[in-house]
Amino acid sequence: MPTNDQIHPGPNDSLVNAPVDVVAGVGAKSRDVLQEVGSVFWFTINTVGETFDRIRRGRVPFRAASFFRYTERAGVGSVPLVAMVSFFLGLTMALLTGYQLQRFGTERLVPGLVAIAFTRELGPLLTGIMLAARIGASFTAELGTMQVSEEVEAIEAMGIGPLRFLVAPRMLALFALMPCLSVISSVAAIFATALISRAYFNISLVYFQDLVLHSLLIRDIITGVLKSFMFGLLIGAIACYRGLTVKGGAAGVGTSTTSSVVTAITVVIGFDTLFNVVYIVFFP
Amino acid sequence: MSGEPPNHVVELREVRLEFPQKTVLDGVSLKVEPLDRLVIMGQSGSGKSTILRLILGILQPTDGQIFFKQFEITRLQRRKLQQVRTHIGMVYQYSALLSSRNVRDNIALPLEELTTKTNAEIDRIVDEKLELVGMLDSKLQMPSELSGGMRKRVSLARALVMDPELILFDEPSAGLDPVISSVIDELIISLSERSQVTSIIVTHEMDSAFRIGTRMAMLYQGKVIADASPEQFKKSDHPVVRQFLSGSTEGPILEGSKDAVATK
Repeated sequence: MPTNDQIHPGPNDSLVNAPVDVVAGVGAKSRDVLQEVGSVFWFTINTVGETFDRIRRGRVPFRAASFFRYTERAGVGSVPLVAMVSFFLGLTMALLTGYQLQRFGTERLVPGLVAIAFTRELGPLLTGIMLAARIGASFTAELGTMQVSEEVEAIEAMGIGPLRFLVAPRMLALFALMPCLSVISSVAAIFATALISRAYFNISLVYFQDLVLHSLLIRDIITGVLKSFMFGLLIGAIACYRGLTVKGGAAGVGTSTTSSVVTAITVVIGFDTLFNVVYIVFFP
Repeated sequence: MSGEPPNHVVELREVRLEFPQKTVLDGVSLKVEPLDRLVIMGQSGSGKSTILRLILGILQPTDGQIFFKQFEITRLQRRKLQQVRTHIGMVYQYSALLSSRNVRDNIALPLEELTTKTNAEIDRIVDEKLELVGMLDSKLQMPSELSGGMRKRVSLARALVMDPELILFDEPSAGLDPVISSVIDELIISLSERSQVTSIIVTHEMDSAFRIGTRMAMLYQGKVIADASPEQFKKSDHPVVRQFLSGSTEGPILEGSKDAVATK
């Protein structure tokens, strides 16, 4: 027979159990996150495997037209957005830092500061966030709709590998286009800085160019480009994985699309931080 | 279980499929002979469409063996499974045409992706299959511009494009009016005979089932409770089959189910 306490637990019991519940909750969440990380990792490996398997058999993995359709959508279509946002951010950054540095007479540091920040850090990061929202969401919604309308299953039933046919061209398009868009982002921001430097800090365009070239190192450019490749791969993998694992009809597509954008942005920022820590510790 | 490859086009041996909290198939055994048009009937949610997905290797059974000719589907590696699937055509309940490609591109897809045929050859084959289903005029239309019956025909043409040995039909008459439904049924019969192809048709529509089928199987509570020719099937004295054929609300099918409560 249960005692009265067991039937009506007192308020103290929930207080006693609270830390345990919190730890259990954190543990369950961590397990879910690790499972998701593993799933996305194997999803990427299987996509690469299916694609190379096809190449080994002497066939093109996907049609060039299909690849270029995605590069146009992900790359060319994103140029105005990436360039505009970076231009405005470059403008703001140059103004804010310039006025602060002017107090110490060191405003000539502005061109180098913005150039390094954008080439190495903000260009890839901003582009990653913008592409996760603009293209990642569209890839997830598109694949998710195909999934709920059985199109993905129909492709599989025909004997066509859906990872190779649907995922590989999208992932490759993002992988290849991210560095190009990062460069555009950096150029737009540096151009904005040049205008501000000329207008407010009396730095001529020739002097500005000298300052930028003097402060920028090749390794800043390489770091930015490497990061961009990785961001492209991560956004592509997360967006396509979320799309192909949609469950629950139209509502599921909506939930997965939101989740894809949030996850991709978080992962991009998280990876960027990790990269910076590793880079600074091992290549100071 | 012994693994002797069968002489049938498809064979299911004691197939079980369990999902959390539900046993969908509970020891299903079926044999499909060459040129059979096997109709699998049963209530909604009885696992009829699941059998088609198991044959295609899209779902894995919990237990049992599934053969397509000499290939044991349940044991095939991914690449081999993809090759085997090219010998099987599938017509989906809602057609599952790729909405971003027009009719021609939908039908051409398996040829473009799985063969080394030239564009001219692909066009010739696509035209031939569209002619078979009477849809040549709609070659350049998008799926969204087609009616349900037209989509089904295009889906059938796509299933036929690789000249399969087996075609699986998931509810071919679903969502169609009786006239178009009859047209699709006759198309299935004529194409099966002309192309010498074996078919498995999943449906719960009686008229359609008796029109198409050369054999009928009834699935109930995860088991095949009847497997016979249409004539024998009609004469079956199994209470579930009798109730299913008559469409009566009184009988074993609704006993204890939520639907039974709704009828009271």
